[in-house]
Amino acid sequence: MAQGVASSSAAPVLLWQERWGRAAAVFLRDPTLGLGLLGSLLFVVLFVVTPLVQVIAQAFFDPRSGDPSLEYFRRYFDPVYRGYQWQVVGNTLVMGTCTAAAGTALGLVFALTLSRCRVPGQRLLHYLCLLPTISPPFAVAIAAILLFGRSGLVTHQWLGIQFGPGVNDIYGLDGIIFVQTITFFPVAYLILRAMLERMDPAMEEAALNMGASRWQVLRTVTLPLLIPGIAGSVLLLFVESLADLGNPLLLGGNAVVLSSEIFLAVNGQYDQQRGAAFSLVLLLPSLVVFLLQRYWVSQRSYISVTGKPSAGQMTIAEPWIRWPLLLVTGLGSLLILALYGSILVGSITRLWGIDYTLDWQHYRVALSRGLNPILATTFLAAVATPLAVLMGLLTAYLVVRKAFWGKQALDFASNLGAAVPGTILGIGYILAFIQPPLPVVIGATAILAGYAAWSAAPRWGWQLLVLGSLLGGFLRWVGPSLSYELYVGGSGAILIAMGGLVGWQSRAWPGWTLAAVGIYLELGVIEPYLTGPIGVWGRALGGEPAKLLTSLQVMIGVIFQLPLTLVGFGLLGVLALALRPLPGSRLAGRLHLGLVAVALGLAFGLIFAGDPLALVGTPYIVIAAYAVRSLPTSVRAGMAALQQIDPSIEEASINLGADTQTTFRRVTLPLILPALLAGSIFAFARHMTSLSAIIFLTTPRWPILTAWILSEVEQGGMSTAAAYSVILIAIVFGAILLLMAGARRQVRQMGGALDLMIGGG
Amino acid sequence: MSYLVLEGIEKRFAARDGSSEVVAVQNVNLQIEQGELITLLGPSGCGKTTTLRIVAGFEFPTSGDVILAGRRINEQPPNQREMAMVFQSYALFPHLSVFENVAYGLRLRALPEIQVRKRVLAALELVGLEGLEQRSPQQLSGGQQQRVALARALVLEPKVLLMDEPLSNLDAKLREQMRTEIRRIQQTLGITTLYVTHDQAEAMTLADRIVIMNQGRIEQVDRPIQIYQRPASAFVADFIGRSNLLPARILGREGDRWQVQVLDQSLCLPTSALAKPFQPGETAQLLIRPEAVRLHPQGSLRGRVQRAVYLGPVVEYELALGPQSLTVVDTDPLRPQIYRPDAEVCFDFLPNCLYLLPT
Repeated sequence: MAQGVASSSAAPVLLWQERWGRAAAVFLRDPTLGLGLLGSLLFVVLFVVTPLVQVIAQAFFDPRSGDPSLEYFRRYFDPVYRGYQWQVVGNTLVMGTCTAAAGTALGLVFALTLSRCRVPGQRLLHYLCLLPTISPPFAVAIAAILLFGRSGLVTHQWLGIQFGPGVNDIYGLDGIIFVQTITFFPVAYLILRAMLERMDPAMEEAALNMGASRWQVLRTVTLPLLIPGIAGSVLLLFVESLADLGNPLLLGGNAVVLSSEIFLAVNGQYDQQRGAAFSLVLLLPSLVVFLLQRYWVSQRSYISVTGKPSAGQMTIAEPWIRWPLLLVTGLGSLLILALYGSILVGSITRLWGIDYTLDWQHYRVALSRGLNPILATTFLAAVATPLAVLMGLLTAYLVVRKAFWGKQALDFASNLGAAVPGTILGIGYILAFIQPPLPVVIGATAILAGYAAWSAAPRWGWQLLVLGSLLGGFLRWVGPSLSYELYVGGSGAILIAMGGLVGWQSRAWPGWTLAAVGIYLELGVIEPYLTGPIGVWGRALGGEPAKLLTSLQVMIGVIFQLPLTLVGFGLLGVLALALRPLPGSRLAGRLHLGLVAVALGLAFGLIFAGDPLALVGTPYIVIAAYAVRSLPTSVRAGMAALQQIDPSIEEASINLGADTQTTFRRVTLPLILPALLAGSIFAFARHMTSLSAIIFLTTPRWPILTAWILSEVEQGGMSTAAAYSVILIAIVFGAILLLMAGARRQVRQMGGALDLMIGGG
Repeated sequence: MSYLVLEGIEKRFAARDGSSEVVAVQNVNLQIEQGELITLLGPSGCGKTTTLRIVAGFEFPTSGDVILAGRRINEQPPNQREMAMVFQSYALFPHLSVFENVAYGLRLRALPEIQVRKRVLAALELVGLEGLEQRSPQQLSGGQQQRVALARALVLEPKVLLMDEPLSNLDAKLREQMRTEIRRIQQTLGITTLYVTHDQAEAMTLADRIVIMNQGRIEQVDRPIQIYQRPASAFVADFIGRSNLLPARILGREGDRWQVQVLDQSLCLPTSALAKPFQPGETAQLLIRPEAVRLHPQGSLRGRVQRAVYLGPVVEYELALGPQSLTVVDTDPLRPQIYRPDAEVCFDFLPNCLYLLPT
């Protein structure tokens, strides 16, 4: 009888350790999973946590002297400053509360009308509601100025109001609240509509059966069941309102709120400590609300919003309920139509307020002067989309399907990227990446390299790390005296050779993956020589084509000139996968170890080449900012999709002999493809309409369209701004049509959960 | 040397709030011979599915060992154990055809296409689904889906077949059909099988031996006839079939004969009718199956009919004996009469149908 060694006892302390050790064993044994976890952790730590930490730290230090300073917090108590300071905070809270209340109320009315009443043109109204989500966040502000401003169509031309002192105009807190309500109510609408559609109709039917009138059912059954959704919407809208930058900048007038204050501190006064200090004040309510919403409200929902809509919902037929709902919905829709209509009309008329003849000049200006921002933004938004979707999917998979220490932290941190007001993140990026963030880079390298070394050669981990560090150090020392081409090209060539060797002696695919990294490096070296002629040709042609071709050249460069540090991280990941001991490998022991050491050395050489991750001014930081902002949406899309797949399907695949990677590739992925596509659409829309996070990151070489529009408005070019806005909306809309046309069947399959992803931030 | 051995298996889960612990499986020891079909039977929450998943490798035991063919397999991941599982929900891949579903595991082993085709078609024929290879799972009925899941597991010729309540989603008639099918196939192939169910009839039909589980512990492991006739505890007696448990007291013993007091009567029982050696004066429970009670117009034991239900093949009575009640099932088609409620009847127990359990 086989008598094994007695297993650990069941005392609770050992239980925890054993569980953790067990989880660690799972990740070491399955490198795809381990790398996936490390990758998403790295992304989140690098691009969410580090910037936030920097902002928080900066608030307490004077950047000029480096001393700790509580100056800007002191001002809340200083008699000279505090009046103003508290007024700003007060304005912000009032704005947030009012927008949250009004937006949720409007969203509730729309949700009730469109899901419970028979209304003609339901689909149209639904899409009308979604218009604010695919337009720049300050589009409504522009429209409001066009219609209700000092020379507005409604206020000046029709009503003939003279704006002098004492006359209330669209500017100010009330104006901000008005446009924010219109801009953000779709979020509440989507959440509440989704809940209404997933409510079990039997509950309302039971109430009716017991004699309740329709109004009583609404009051005592439907609305109470919606309370978690209402509470959630209020909280969400509050955060969105606080984070909003564009509308307060355009319509604030004399009323200053925290987000505009932060912007002015950084861009106007060049005082980063001031900006950081205000960011902290803004961060507090946002975080509190975010936590409330996540951990308190969403736990109390009676309706599962990830399920499929239930059939047979009761419609409201009673006229005294129906008509008020229809009235408000109708008025709201007309308002939205009028606002967006004014943007459209404003872009195609010669001079708003004076001359309404049809004129395309604004588009001509937009497409010539503004071609660069249009192309640059679309390109960066598009490049960031697969990154965001993949990261989101990875995080969703880890959170939904796996159990490991730190899972909650990962889930929380990935949501933080969008919960935090964008201006804070923007400042954080500048603070974190203007100089190489060495501690983070070193830490990340150590962890990745450790994982790679132990995966590849479990018994020689330490020795390999030391060897690799020596080699990397040597490369780094020798590096500056070599030309870029030699350094990078040489590394690439060695990798290709290694790949060939591994492919020959071991299995094909590890060889290919190693060689692929090498090939990428070589392409990066060659690329400028290949695309150079494009630029030359463009300049020869002159005019419009020149710009297009130059942009093309630059874009290709972005793809192939990834910062070497990131390539180095990638190499470490590939190392863990490709140089793992594989069955059927004929690689001799020493040779294998040598290859690992060389690969480690090359990776270190790449990671620390130049200024590791000094990303400010590069397009990569914009891409990262985009991805971080849309990450929660992608994660939610991934989670919704994964939760609808019975986990036993994946277990069946494992039971039949597949590992995690094969199961994911052959079973999970085909089933969640619709959600990925939907997620891509929303990620792209979010990228294109981002403002607050990237406003500090825009540069003359990489101008961002939303910032461009803002400055256009500030210079008084309302019509041109309108033209830009229409172009932006058209691009997003076009992308949506493209993706939906290309994957119609799968999108329809997704059905209900689609809308949810856009809701909730 | 048993083929599949579970030694001291224990599984604890932390409760949701992290404060307390749930013990799902405790001290499970099992020795399964090659070719046996063992059912894990018990009420919901008794730990049978957890035990199955531990064997499959989807859960790690908190302590204890799983030993297959003499080798301890605790550390083996679930995709390397050479065991195939049939899930309660079938878990067929909706985006693959029936053929591809069954071929999935074979393809992972990189077998040549001709072999794959041959084995898949053979498996489908074994379960009676020839001709349906190109359909997608959504186009099949529940019973057909069930059989595809079975074929997918069997085609790999696993060392152990694991089945997690595979028939619970089918209607009654289909269930009966399928369980005979499953038993037939299992015996033809001689595959060691671990089968989880909460349906007694299924367990009795299928199993070589039944494992009764309750609250994470094994109550009894035995052949069906032993489980029914000689249950180890009141729980088992009550779980399988129906039972009457009457309070009894041991009066004395004479060699092989035991005097037991039940219902103010003194009965004489052989040692074989006792679950364990009792002491004189000890209290016990007497197990009488409803079908082992015979009703007479006259006799020493009396009771009053509270309820009589004519079911067709049998008549069921509920007798009141003072505070006690007795369920009686009359299986005799030549019964002299059907008693009505409130009638006074006499009854006695059929010989050799009594069993004495500890309290």
